[in-house]
Order: sequence, then structure tokens, then C-alpha cells
Amino acid sequence: MFFEFNEQQKEFQKRVREIYEREVSPLVEEYERKEAFPIQLYPILGAEHLLCQRCPKEYGGPGSDKMTECITVEELNRICVGIGASVMVHGGLATDPILHFGSEELKLRYLSPAVRGEKIGAFALTEPNAGSDASGIQTTAVKHGNTYRLNGTKTFITNGTICDFVSVAAYTDPSKRGTGINLFVVERGDPGFSVIKKLKKLGNHSADTAELAFDDCDVPKERMLGEQEGGGLAQLEGTLKSGRLTYGARSTGVGQAAFEATLFYVKGTLRQGQLLARSQAIRFVLAEMAMSLEAMRYMTYRGAWLFDQGLATMKDASVVKLFCSETVQGIVQKAMAIQKNAGLRVDNPVQRFLRDGRLSKIPEGTSEIQHLVIASGLGL
Amino acid sequence: MDFELSDEQKDIQKAAREFAQGEFDPDLALELDQAGRFPESIWKKTAKLGFIGIHYPEEFGGQGCGLFENLLVIEAFCRIDSGIGSALSTVDLGSEVILKFGSNEQKNQFLTPLTKGEKQLGIAFGESEDERDLTAISTIAEAQGDEYSLQGEKSFVLNASLVNAFLTLCKEPKEEWITLIVERERHGFEVQPVEKMGLRMVSFGNLLFKNARVSLGNRVGREGAGMTHAHYCHQVIGLRSAAQALGTAQGALDRAMQHARQREQFGKRLSQFQAIRHKLADMAVGVEVARWLTYKSATEYDQGKIDPGFLSVTQLEVKRRLVAIVDEALQIFGGYGYMAEQAIEHYFRDAWAIGVELGTEEEQKDVIAEIML
Repeated sequence: MFFEFNEQQKEFQKRVREIYEREVSPLVEEYERKEAFPIQLYPILGAEHLLCQRCPKEYGGPGSDKMTECITVEELNRICVGIGASVMVHGGLATDPILHFGSEELKLRYLSPAVRGEKIGAFALTEPNAGSDASGIQTTAVKHGNTYRLNGTKTFITNGTICDFVSVAAYTDPSKRGTGINLFVVERGDPGFSVIKKLKKLGNHSADTAELAFDDCDVPKERMLGEQEGGGLAQLEGTLKSGRLTYGARSTGVGQAAFEATLFYVKGTLRQGQLLARSQAIRFVLAEMAMSLEAMRYMTYRGAWLFDQGLATMKDASVVKLFCSETVQGIVQKAMAIQKNAGLRVDNPVQRFLRDGRLSKIPEGTSEIQHLVIASGLGL
Repeated sequence: MDFELSDEQKDIQKAAREFAQGEFDPDLALELDQAGRFPESIWKKTAKLGFIGIHYPEEFGGQGCGLFENLLVIEAFCRIDSGIGSALSTVDLGSEVILKFGSNEQKNQFLTPLTKGEKQLGIAFGESEDERDLTAISTIAEAQGDEYSLQGEKSFVLNASLVNAFLTLCKEPKEEWITLIVERERHGFEVQPVEKMGLRMVSFGNLLFKNARVSLGNRVGREGAGMTHAHYCHQVIGLRSAAQALGTAQGALDRAMQHARQREQFGKRLSQFQAIRHKLADMAVGVEVARWLTYKSATEYDQGKIDPGFLSVTQLEVKRRLVAIVDEALQIFGGYGYMAEQAIEHYFRDAWAIGVELGTEEEQKDVIAEIML
């Protein structure tokens, strides 16, 4: 057992922190206010090799391991969770299935430009009536000659209005509940694909979230992932496992930001004539925040290590996601609760950390779903 | 001990609930919240029906009820919408100080217009991020002829851009604390609005007094009583905020139950899953705890025997329950809960703003421990 980042990882962490502080930090307040994603970031992050990090070198990616990716995710989410959401989906659910199940042609067409930040990806599984229960989706893909005709509505889609392509889950055989699903790559300009509306949210304001419509949207059959019909949800297993670990790093990043803001605040705030940092109760609060962060970090990086060894089960990934997304709530809530009136100001980042951090318990499997996965992983 | 509302109280509760159900349009609530706008026309109707100042004596436009009835109205309003309900309960902050310590003339002049929905009253006590930290106050009021002249700055004043008169805590040059009613139309007075994340219909403002003029007759009570006034006012606001919290928690539970009954996943309604049922049961426990703590504190207030320790217990526990209930309600809504189209999204933000008025956990524990030990 070895619980330290090696020199290369430490160096990498330092480098990405510098990049994010230089390139991302100055954009945060403006784009949070606009409730829009700063798309100019994509080519910049592409040039720094910080997109689709686990994409192999042959398609232009850096070919990093999960551990390295988690370092990046933690650092980016420490700066901005909303921007982190876009980059996460782009490098994860939008492109990972293409890498693993797409044809050579699809990889060259979507993956390589995505790595460079020239094309933005999205992923569309959730529907108004199917969230946790993904097999309940109603979108269909019916084959007509050389094309599949897609019909359905997708919601809560990150990068929905800004994406160049979107990986869409649809039933090729609705009679096979859960197994008759395939993933299709739909391009922004495809006829029949449209954005119904952009959604306003509690947090992650700088992430673009939308409801999408597929209305007789014809997609060439070559854009289906995989050789044959069916098995689309199973193709997502590996990506979901990876994404749940990413959520550990995402939660750790925003928790770290809230912790740093609180540390700064208590050292500079007098209350009833006393510096907050001198109050025993407040010192205990900071101690607990620091303890929670350490635990989250170890869980996340251990999960990433297991993943890199090929040892991580879905249960392992769910344990990381559940623990980190629940634990970070205590940190962001306490950061907010300490601040009184000042915490409510829209220009105070702690209220953003609270709103942004709150998301963790919902996507890529709610906390309730993680409990179910873990319980069945226990053989129950 | 009697844990039953009287028939009159039940009538008031029912009237308030029906009014709110009829007037607090969910789309309007979302729009006002996003725009950060006060519900002007609803406020006028609220006053017309006698809900504002229900606890003032009839001679000053009220209904002669106790604060308990006022809290029932606040609770009913916030249950239907946390944002509109809270905005309507913020139009007469500080009025209880005038009721208890003011002259009849001041009550006529400042309370009666509140009940008619013509004017709003606010409080301007604190000068730091902590409105209850009165150690750091430096606003000076100097008597000059038949007026006071004010110099200073107040921060995080609620509803500052709409309020017509502010109950303002200041010091005289000889260091006596006084409370003055500062009217907006007097010159030498400036408001800087501050946008906030929750209860967005009620903005914050910083008040700047630059030689602001206040007539001598606007001093409440005697010289030196300012601290007593501020302390008393914070107790009342603690009670009112507890009622806002209670209504907001109940409203969040109502919505979560409705969603759980309708939403189907895995071929079942959410309300059929044990994990969800137990969450809802826990939330119901929280609402009961919040309700009875709040009602007991309000009853004691109306009996003229506020127990500061119990008030702190109330504020501390009601806040804990509120935050937990609203968070769990949002979770039951899943992805929808995170979207602004669902009211639960602003309930979450509003809960944190209401929580600030209930004080921090640490300060309430300080009070409780001080009394116990």
C-alpha cells in the first residue's frame, strides 16, 4: 500500500491548478450570472490535454489513467462545479461509449475533434418519465433502410444547447425492456433534432442544461454504437462506473473550495468582539470539515486506483459516489451556516458552493440508487 | 395544557390558507423570485383582508389578536409559497417594538398605515454581517434643534428598497442607545441594494445616513432603551422566522408527498418504496417538532413570559429541521427538484435565508448553555 501521489502526479496537480486558476477562474462569476457555459474554454482545455483524458493517444487523447483524471476533476470543481459538469459529460458519457463501442470511423469523426475541443459532446438518456429507471425510456429508433428514425424527448441534458453531437439512448426493440436499447450519435444539424428549452437550475449555473426533442430524426445506421441491435445500457456500465468515481472527485473539489472559503472567513471575521477562529465550536467545525475532506479524498483515489487496476466493481464505484456526495453536503452546508447574512449575498461564493454541491446527490444515480447498487453488491 | 387551536384560530388559519391558495399563483411566484420583485398587488390584498397587523389592537387598525395568530397566518402563507409568504411577513418588521414601547401618536402614525397596506416598516440595527452583533454599532444621532441628525451606515437591512420607515438603533453623543424611526422621505438618506440567493422577493440594502434628519418625536421610548428594543425585536423576529420555517417545511413536505404519489419508476409509485416512505415519515416528524416548539414559544410570548432559553431551543431545532426537510424534499423530486420550474428549488434557497434569521447553531447553543450552566 502506498498512499501518496508520486512526483509526476504531484507535478501534474500543480500544473492543472495553475491552468484552471489562469483560464477558468476569471470566467466563473460572469458565466454563472449569465447561466451559460463559456464555450471558448473548449479549445483552450483541448490544447492543454485536459479533455477526454482517458482517450488513447491514437485518437489524439493523452491516454491518462483514472487517477490522473480524478486529480483534474477535483481541481476543476474546486474552481467551478458548473464548468466541471460540462467537461465531465464531454469526456465521459458523451465520448466514452464511442471510444469503446464505436466504429473506427465514428472515433475519428467525433472522438478526435472532441479531444481537441473542436466539437462538444452531450449524452441523452434521461427522459421526463424515466430517470432512475433508465429502462423506462420511451424514445424509439425504428429502422428504415439505411437509417434509424428517432422519436422521443430527453431532459436534464448537460451541454444540450451547445453540443455538436449527442449520444442518444433509444429502444430499437421496445419489447425487450432494458436490453433492447442502443446508443446513436446525433449531430446538431440533423433534421428532426431540436432544443425544446434551456433549463434553469438551483446551481451549476455555468453548465448548460436542456430538454431535447427528436422528432422523426433520421440517423444513418453507421452512427449506432455497436455491431448489432440491443445491449446499449450494458455498454454504459463501464462509463457509469467511471462517472461515479468522477463524482467522488467532483464532490471533493467543491468541498475543498467551501473549506478554503470558510478557513479564510473565520480568520477574518469578528463576532461579538471575538475572532471566529478563536471560538472552540468553530474550530471543531473546521476540524470536521478537514476530516471529511481527507476521507472523501482517500475514497475517491482508492476507487480510481482500483479502477486503473481493473479491480473496481460497480459497488466500489457506488460506495465512492454515495459517501462523497453525501459527505460534501455537511461541508457546504456548514460553510453557509457559519456566515449569517453575508452568506446570502449572490456575490459570495459560499452560497454557490452550497447550490452547486447539492447536485451531487442526484445525477448518475441518486443516493437512493447508490444504496440499491451497494446492497445488491453485498449479495442481498 | 391545551394543544388544540381555538375555533377562532382555526378560522384564521383557514382564511389565510384559502387566500394564499387563491392568490399565490405558482408561475407568478417563480417569476417574482427570478426577477427579485416584491409581490406588490398581493400585499395590497393581504392588507385589505386584515392579515397584516392582525395582532395589533383594533384602534391601530389590527384585529386585536395575539402574535400566535400572526404566526398562524405566516405559517399558512409560507406553506403555499415560501417566497411570497415570507415577503408578506416582512412588511412590518419592528412594529412590535412600537406597539410595546411607542407612544399612541407613533402607533397611529406608523402602525395604522401598515395594516392598510399603504406603508412598510423595517428595522436597521446591525452594522456588520451579523445583524445581532450590536457591539460594533457606530451610527450617531445628534439632537440639533427639533431634529436628530444621523451619521452612519447599516448593513443587510431587509426590504430596504421598499420600506417607508426604519426602526434604527443608534447612539447619542453621550453614548446612550436610542431607537429612532427614520422616514425614507427625509433627506440625507441613501439605500444601496444587495442581491441575495434566497427569499429574493425581499432584497437586502445598505443604508447610508449622511446627516439624515429625524424629528425628535420619532424617538421610541426613553433614551438608553435602544438595546432593550433591539433585543425585544430580535425575539419577535425569531418567533416569526420560526413560523416562516414551519410553513416552509410543511410546504416542502406537502410537495414531496404529492410528487411521491404521482411519480412512477420501476413500475411503482415512489410512495410505494419503503426508503421514500421513511424519508417522508422523518420529514413529518420534523414538521411536528417545529410546529410544537414554535406554538409553545408563541403562546408564552402572548402570555408575556418569554423564556429566552426555550426560544433559542426553538430557533435552533426549527432551523435544523427546516434545512433537513427541504433538502430531503428536493431529493425526492430528483432531477426535477434541482430545476427552477419546481417550487421546491426556491424552497431550498428560501430555507437558507430564513435560517439566517433563526441565528447560527453556535450562538443559540451559547444562549442555552449560559442559562443552563
